[in-house]
Amino acid sequence: MIILLQVLPVALRAMVPVTLCAVGEITGERAGVVNIGLEGIMTLSAFAAAIGSWATGNPWIGALCGMGAGAIVGLLHGFISVYLRGDQIISGVGINLLGMGAVGFGTWALWGAKSPMLDKKFWIPEVPGLGISPFVLMTPLLVVLTWWLLHRTALGLRIRAVGENPVAADVVGVPVEGVRLLAVVFGGALGGLAGAFLSLDWLHTVSPTLPAGRGFIALANVVFSKLNPFLALLGGFLFGYFDALAIQLASVAGFGGGIPYQFVRMIPYIATLAVVALAIGRARFPKALGQPYRRE
Amino acid sequence: MADNALLEARGIAKVYPDGTVALRGVDLVVRPGEVHGLLGENGAGKTTLTKIISGLLPPTSGEIRWRGKRVRFSSPREALRAGIGMVHQHFALVGPFTGLENIALGEEGGGALSPVHVASVRRRVEAIMRESGLEAPLDVPVEDLPVGVQQRVEILKMLYREVDLLILDEPTAVLTPQEAEELFSVLRGLAAQGRSVIFITHKLAEVTAVTDRVTVLRRGEVVATRETPGSTAEELARLMVGEELPPPRARAERAPGREVLRLEGFTVPGPAGKPAVQGVSFSVREGEILGIAGVQGNGQTELVEALVGLRPWSGHAELLGKDLAGRGPGEIASLGLAHIPEDRHGMGLILEFNLAENAILGRLRPFLDPLGRLRWGKVYRFARELISRFSIQAPGPRVPVRYLSGGNQQRLVVGRELSKAPKLLIANQPTRGLDVAATRYIRDLLLRLRDEGMAILLVSADLDEVLELSDRVAVMYRGTFAGVLSREEFDRERIGLLMGGVREAG
Repeated sequence: MIILLQVLPVALRAMVPVTLCAVGEITGERAGVVNIGLEGIMTLSAFAAAIGSWATGNPWIGALCGMGAGAIVGLLHGFISVYLRGDQIISGVGINLLGMGAVGFGTWALWGAKSPMLDKKFWIPEVPGLGISPFVLMTPLLVVLTWWLLHRTALGLRIRAVGENPVAADVVGVPVEGVRLLAVVFGGALGGLAGAFLSLDWLHTVSPTLPAGRGFIALANVVFSKLNPFLALLGGFLFGYFDALAIQLASVAGFGGGIPYQFVRMIPYIATLAVVALAIGRARFPKALGQPYRRE
Repeated sequence: MADNALLEARGIAKVYPDGTVALRGVDLVVRPGEVHGLLGENGAGKTTLTKIISGLLPPTSGEIRWRGKRVRFSSPREALRAGIGMVHQHFALVGPFTGLENIALGEEGGGALSPVHVASVRRRVEAIMRESGLEAPLDVPVEDLPVGVQQRVEILKMLYREVDLLILDEPTAVLTPQEAEELFSVLRGLAAQGRSVIFITHKLAEVTAVTDRVTVLRRGEVVATRETPGSTAEELARLMVGEELPPPRARAERAPGREVLRLEGFTVPGPAGKPAVQGVSFSVREGEILGIAGVQGNGQTELVEALVGLRPWSGHAELLGKDLAGRGPGEIASLGLAHIPEDRHGMGLILEFNLAENAILGRLRPFLDPLGRLRWGKVYRFARELISRFSIQAPGPRVPVRYLSGGNQQRLVVGRELSKAPKLLIANQPTRGLDVAATRYIRDLLLRLRDEGMAILLVSADLDEVLELSDRVAVMYRGTFAGVLSREEFDRERIGLLMGGVREAG
């Protein structure tokens, strides 16, 4: 029984990337643009954050580098989807492949065959006195901020309008392309922050497969959340909890002896599938989701 | 330039990229404070002209003066900023947004990151509602509102932006007669405040009811501009159509025969768990046209699609005594049901296919040889036969149907369906978007079929059409029949009230 509470600190950490990515993706999807490249964004930005931290010696600048890398990839995806009217799924797949390829090459070029462990001085420090990651505090704040942006501000009204009916928005003078691009860049930046968290705060390494599918889990979380940031926080926590539980179980001797740890590590993913399968079908997505806008 | 013109369009021509000439040098002058009718048949160029004026389309040539200055709007938002707003047939509303959010969008009253100034927007909208007489709920998602009310939100949105010229494209198509009357008085009120309205219609009665002046378009040209008082409906009709039409076919006196279609407690599920059609019961007999009237979106589409086997339903339905439950579209068709779908492009035809290929859609068997190959000689002979029997204007059976006019496409659909020798014909919006001559043809044909003993279920949002053709009329409102009236009981006002959901006592 005690194990269910013991895993809480890890669960809170595991919640961060899945929640941040999902909340960013919610913003983009509200504006009508799907970005399935979250995995690639996290891979790239984790790498960029590590490099930034290592080069400047300041982990917070590293985190900003990660965010910036995410925003730039978001810009690329937004440009392809919004201005070139490309297929958003293909662009997203491209970003995922780019992430794996570029980071694979980058780590090999810098460190050779073995993935590096980051030295402690490049890590993001824990919040003094509380002993938890600042990202764990930041995540709920960003959730609230994003919800407020989407549902209380003029910009949020416009974001939701261009995702639902871009014609209506265009007629009343809302620049459809600009708003969509902005939303996608915002989503990319949050994905970038999630990537920085992975390398600088949690796993302390970089690798082409660092997110381990969490970018895709975040997409599932978006469906689960019905595009509501608060539900995405809940979804993120649920996944994080199962993730932490699996990590703990895999290391418990009795369990590890009987069952191959790979099976135990499947728990969070299977749990996610089950949750999404139950939640799906009730989500209502924006009408113009995935459709480029072209004036008549 | 003309004295005292708010808007002046000179020599407007429009050629679409595919070579279609929509406008051939059109002049239009709109004065301040007038309701200006734009009258013409479908395809005459009314919508194209107003799309050019409102910045949605660039003209191929010609110039537009707005308050005396030459302008060239490259987008609707530029036109709107200058004071020209258009309400299209498909509303530009964000479905899940409330009326207030739709009106505020783009004019939220502060910077991008500041909260929407809900209270001040609401105060202004409420003032506009009092002044104009247009009432609409502001806190309900517009997708939950009836279309007539959505239209009011759309007009309020334009008034909120203080337009001086309001363009309405066939606004009464989605209204009950009573709602249309209310709209007319709102438009008169706007004109009295000095604003101008361009009112697009193909209905003569509306021109005489609401406009001050009227410009008649025919095949992309202005035929005449008249002061409405002093013009007669006959004169306008002649100008609009350009030819005298034969009088409509007289209906034969005929007692209906045996029952062909019978529904009891017919229910069709709709979106979000609410039924789209709820427990409807009726029957259609041989030699009878049952008309279903109602504002579009009250379950007519779902009713028809379920009947032809395209949607699940519950309840009881039988065609010539055979239960329809569990039968698919092909099987139902083979029992003797033919269907003229409301959307001839999406459901009735394959636009990329040629005329002959479309003519045998859904009925291949008679054209197959023993090895299962198509006998093309027979297919083309059949297509030529349809072309001559239904007077389809086409260069030949090999022409892609995309290049046929709407009227000829519809003749092809009707011809194909009738070649199946049906016992029951379901005609859903059979004349929507057709010109006057093609409309006349289809209506006369339906009456002739009825006289010859066919059972016909006619669904139409055009109340005049339903009243002209039907032996009995059912009014549909929110998925139920609000009343079934026989021909002696036909009364526009009464049917209009039923269409608006006003139930009769008893």
